[in-house]
Amino acid sequence: MFRWKSVTAAVAVAALALTGCSASDTSSSDSASSTLTLGLIVPATTFEAANMNFANESPYGQAVYDTLLKEDPSGELLPSLATEWSYNDTNTVLTLTLRDDVKFTDGTAFNADAAAQNLTRFRDGTSPNKSFLASLGSATAIDDTHVELTLTQPDPALLHYLTQNAGMQGSPAAFGAADAKTNPVGSGPYILDTKKTVVGTSYEFTANPDYWDKDSVHYDNLSLKVFADTTSMLNAVKGGQVNGAKLGDNTNNAEVEAAGYTLNPFELDWTGLILFDRAGTLNPALADVKVRQALNYAIDGPAMLKAVGEGLGTPTTQIFPESSAAYDKKLDDRYAYDPDEAKKLLAEAGYADGLTLDMPSTSLGNPAVFTLIEQQLKDVGITVNYTDTGTNFIADILAPKYGATWMQLQQDNDWALINFELTPNASFNPTHYQDPTVDALVATIGTTTGDEADAALKELNAYVVEQAWFAPWYRVQSNYATDAKTQVETQVGNAYPYLWNFTPAS
Amino acid sequence: MVFRFILRRLLSGVVLLFLISTIAFSLLYVGGGDIARRILGQMATPETVAQKSEELGLNRPLYEQYVDWLSGAVRGDLGSSWFTGQLVTEGITSRLAVTLSLVIGAIILIAIVAVILGVWAAIRGGWADKFVQAISILGFAIPGFLIALGLVTLFALNLKLFKPTGYTAFTDSPSGWAASVTLPIIALAIGGIAGVAQQVRGSVVDALRQDYVRTLRSRGLSFNRVVFKHVLRNAGGPALAVLAVQFVGLLGGAVIVEQIFAIPGLGQVSVQATTQGDIPMVMGLVVATAAIVVIVNLLIDLLQGWLNPKVRLS
Repeated sequence: MFRWKSVTAAVAVAALALTGCSASDTSSSDSASSTLTLGLIVPATTFEAANMNFANESPYGQAVYDTLLKEDPSGELLPSLATEWSYNDTNTVLTLTLRDDVKFTDGTAFNADAAAQNLTRFRDGTSPNKSFLASLGSATAIDDTHVELTLTQPDPALLHYLTQNAGMQGSPAAFGAADAKTNPVGSGPYILDTKKTVVGTSYEFTANPDYWDKDSVHYDNLSLKVFADTTSMLNAVKGGQVNGAKLGDNTNNAEVEAAGYTLNPFELDWTGLILFDRAGTLNPALADVKVRQALNYAIDGPAMLKAVGEGLGTPTTQIFPESSAAYDKKLDDRYAYDPDEAKKLLAEAGYADGLTLDMPSTSLGNPAVFTLIEQQLKDVGITVNYTDTGTNFIADILAPKYGATWMQLQQDNDWALINFELTPNASFNPTHYQDPTVDALVATIGTTTGDEADAALKELNAYVVEQAWFAPWYRVQSNYATDAKTQVETQVGNAYPYLWNFTPAS
Repeated sequence: MVFRFILRRLLSGVVLLFLISTIAFSLLYVGGGDIARRILGQMATPETVAQKSEELGLNRPLYEQYVDWLSGAVRGDLGSSWFTGQLVTEGITSRLAVTLSLVIGAIILIAIVAVILGVWAAIRGGWADKFVQAISILGFAIPGFLIALGLVTLFALNLKLFKPTGYTAFTDSPSGWAASVTLPIIALAIGGIAGVAQQVRGSVVDALRQDYVRTLRSRGLSFNRVVFKHVLRNAGGPALAVLAVQFVGLLGGAVIVEQIFAIPGLGQVSVQATTQGDIPMVMGLVVATAAIVVIVNLLIDLLQGWLNPKVRLS
């Protein structure tokens, strides 16, 4: 016969033995002060400098590559591999003076020729931000420490782009290597330990012993862990397994704080509707500015912020961020919720009996958003027909298959934002809508500086809001969580804090 | 005889792999959508997206792409991931050991606990039988992901006995490895224990009713000897068949468990690759999983033949 008591005892002993192991293991090396462990929501698409992604992938690139220029957390330019920079009178030739004491980790020296090659490769590569160097005609090494960038047209954001992936410098000796996508060779603060790295899951780095800017390196080791699943990210935070983590949304903020983490808030994105079809090619009604304005009045932005944004954010009806010269506080409530005004405008536009709007939906977004849009638009007589686009959401809206859509977009640097959302060839102007007033203002912004450019920016913002190209609801507050041992400064205009802004808490 | 059997099974396995890969490739492309856009994200211009499509050869006819993939696969070259740049073969082999350690650990746990519970229920009957049936139903009824979440909350977050996420390789630290796989293995095994315990119980009850048991007992053999030497051997065949099915099922269960525990196994990469539309990686995973299933089934057949000569003849 079975002696179940002895079996139970044996199981208990085994369990104790195991828990004994684990308890000691939990308190082991991961939390050593010389290791910075960060939680990320995406893996590195590639480590090849010419094709690197940025935003949520920025820590991967910043760990292994130097950029030509840097930015402080508020977006002010700082020297990096380039110590000086200057434009010619027409802002079409940029000359950079480079450091002469930098070596890549394979021993190759960094010089102007390497910089020129990197810039050209990025321009010709397939980085998601390849357009950052679209204005680069040629990059030429004048001598070892001077490189000259000739532009096809002035680009007010070029210096900013050189602080991001467009400015990352890889060793020319490693260009085209078979393992270039997974084994980067840069001159950055860390070296990727390919043996300890599990691609797609955890990336382990050790400090570069020969790094030229040691003061900016605050940790001996860096560990970047990917948590594609919100639950596992939250569990890692609650279990104290990461020093810092990008939170996917704000739903678990209280739990994160209860686990002893500090929330570092920042507003990067705006959310609301994009009214792509300003010419009315897909839906003639959208060609009428009154219909577009009605869509602005019809949805209660502050209520959306409360209902789906956990109340974390700032109501607005403009797409430019507070840090921009284009920003005008008055435009934050240009279209205060007014369903009667919306109905009146629709009637004036000839849609007193209502109209139908085809819009995409996706399970990638909060389903409540789509229901609330549908309800509020129905209240003013607009019937929404949704098509579930699944994972093809972005591809379908940029095809473009819809005249209007819900979206959340990054509030980038002014010139980047303009070229991303407003110009005829902007990705988020897929109908290539062109407006002479916008064209003229963009031309002024592109060719002038100082007060003149700032005034044009303000005018452009006001015009786009008045023409209701978009129907923004609020700026989304995101949070970056850090544990008690870690301090961080969030970065204006980027989804992830810059690596050198993480420091041990004093 | 045995070699011919193995050869025949391996050949049919190759045909199966070909069919599965063809179907998988077609299905992936049907639901593929704009893959280049998904790789590059919303910031990329349409021109960059078109350039990426061309670079990946996505503009070519489907059959041409498949022939390319197949000729590579035959040579052992499964391409590289579109989303991480890693070689597919490297991505799979580096994760295979992790998933296998979970699945094999779970199978061993299932086999031990289920045999104990099943034999106990069959022999004791009465309340013991009812108890085992009750916990079997519970094990079946509670979804695997809830068990996993419950285990993390209780043992990792509240009692702090284990790490809530992550994996330590055995070669790095055996105790760290044990700590990182214990909860996932338990989470994986609970459902299986329920199924196999019921199967073992039924088989043992059936076997105990056979004439040979009475004969052996009448010859004076002790009950324990009859059960452990003869009954279990006879009941082992059906239990092994259930374990084989469990093994395949556990590969699927590992998908959820690895995601919750952030364990870098085949399950985690499967979720990532399928959601992203990483066709080279998904194809590699399909082939690897199908190959594992073919091999496991072959091994189980051989094991059953060894246990039961009647199976050998058939």
